[in-house]
Amino acid sequence: MRPSHGLVLLTVLVLAGDLLAGSLEIIVKDDKGRPVSDAVAYAVAAGAASAAAKKQAVIDQRDKQFVPYVTAVQVGTAVIFPNSDKIRHHVYSFSPAKKFELPLYSGVPAEPVMFDKTGFVTLGCNIHDWMIAYVAVLPTPYFQVARQDGRAVLKDLPAGQYTMQVWHPALKGQPEALAQRVDVGGATKSLLFTLPLKSDVRAKRAPGLTTGGYR
Amino acid sequence: MVLLILSSSFARAEWRIEAETGVVYNSNLSNSDRSADVRDDWAWRSDISAGDGLQLTRDLRLNLGADLRGDVWDRFGAFNTIGPGASAGLRYRFGLGRQAPWVLLENRFGYDRFQDTAQSGCDNVLNFEAGIALSDRIALEGGYAFESFVAPNDFYDREVHRGNARMVFDVTSSLQVTVGYTYREGDVISYAVPPRPDIARFSIEREDQDQFGQPLRTAYKLLGRTNAVSFSVAYHLMKYASVQLGYEYAVTTHDPLQYENHLVQANIAVAY
Repeated sequence: MRPSHGLVLLTVLVLAGDLLAGSLEIIVKDDKGRPVSDAVAYAVAAGAASAAAKKQAVIDQRDKQFVPYVTAVQVGTAVIFPNSDKIRHHVYSFSPAKKFELPLYSGVPAEPVMFDKTGFVTLGCNIHDWMIAYVAVLPTPYFQVARQDGRAVLKDLPAGQYTMQVWHPALKGQPEALAQRVDVGGATKSLLFTLPLKSDVRAKRAPGLTTGGYR
Repeated sequence: MVLLILSSSFARAEWRIEAETGVVYNSNLSNSDRSADVRDDWAWRSDISAGDGLQLTRDLRLNLGADLRGDVWDRFGAFNTIGPGASAGLRYRFGLGRQAPWVLLENRFGYDRFQDTAQSGCDNVLNFEAGIALSDRIALEGGYAFESFVAPNDFYDREVHRGNARMVFDVTSSLQVTVGYTYREGDVISYAVPPRPDIARFSIEREDQDQFGQPLRTAYKLLGRTNAVSFSVAYHLMKYASVQLGYEYAVTTHDPLQYENHLVQANIAVAY
């Protein structure tokens, strides 16, 4: 085979792969039909080992809030927790998937935190009780966090069969209970997830009736 | 060493400004037992404070604050008051997070200037509080406080011991409900149109007063025991502000005297 023929064949194979790749549009609603933001939609390929995570993720602390509220990462991702406020924060997690503590600090911690176990992690600040955020540590590189309109789009999924799941910080039960199987290839497919949600009881920054919260 | 820790913490000071304003209604401002003597009134109440929280260690926080409080009563202006205060408190939390048990030891010293200046004086409150979260929605809090008020006119000197317990429910992310009980034992001042030999018999002191107009009343200083139940609601309007409504029913006794107070409060609170 001459080199030019090999190049053509390679190009054809790549194009064929692209043609087979597909997208999934996930629509997340609550049981009253309202769009649900901050839901993590993720697709797990049937029988295929996922590529290793390469990226770092960043969860900032600005104006005494974690930004973003929900972060999705592939297992094995290192997360940096910069503190952009002029005061100190004290980040912690009790979650089984990742227990850690970043004692009182300003600026950027020297070391990122490695999320090396799948699961859902709740973050807090020991100084500001209303500060809370979540990290979904997933076994797949195919995920997206739903926007305000409750939509998440997973693009360029290799063709194949996937199990699609959705998790939300207020989800009642486990995401496996709502899992949907889907074949990906070619055209974009849409999936609707209706989530049963617990009422939101996050501590608020506004003054309350307790003496313990901020004092 | 302490100075070193403090100076290091001051470099990372975290200021917090809080303000509350609203109305309070007292069904029995005169603390009277006979309905003919009872005088009710409502007041505009405001409180502004600035505080600095210094996280000394992971679990220990030093709070320093200064505040200015005031009441303006609708009918009985003699009870109008304004006063600055300063407070210091140490809060220790046994572990991380908002559900960890905590204890707080705090002292506030202030001066209350009344429109009826004879009532003016210095007050000091030593407060011990503790709390524990029973779940992510329910917390139990309680404490003990010793209050003392010292006025140039000894008649208005008062000492009070107070214990309280309350359950706090986070009903939704915006709605917080508190149910509480308070036991108070100490000096109270009850006003009555004389003659009241029944009260005079056990009162510590008495003075004729004109704060409630005519007919003149006698103010009796007594040792009273108060049992009070309260119900409060806070609704978070936005990131920094909430509206709060509260009701308290209190019964104060010193046999044979007994009087009741219904207190209703509505205010807006802002914290930044």
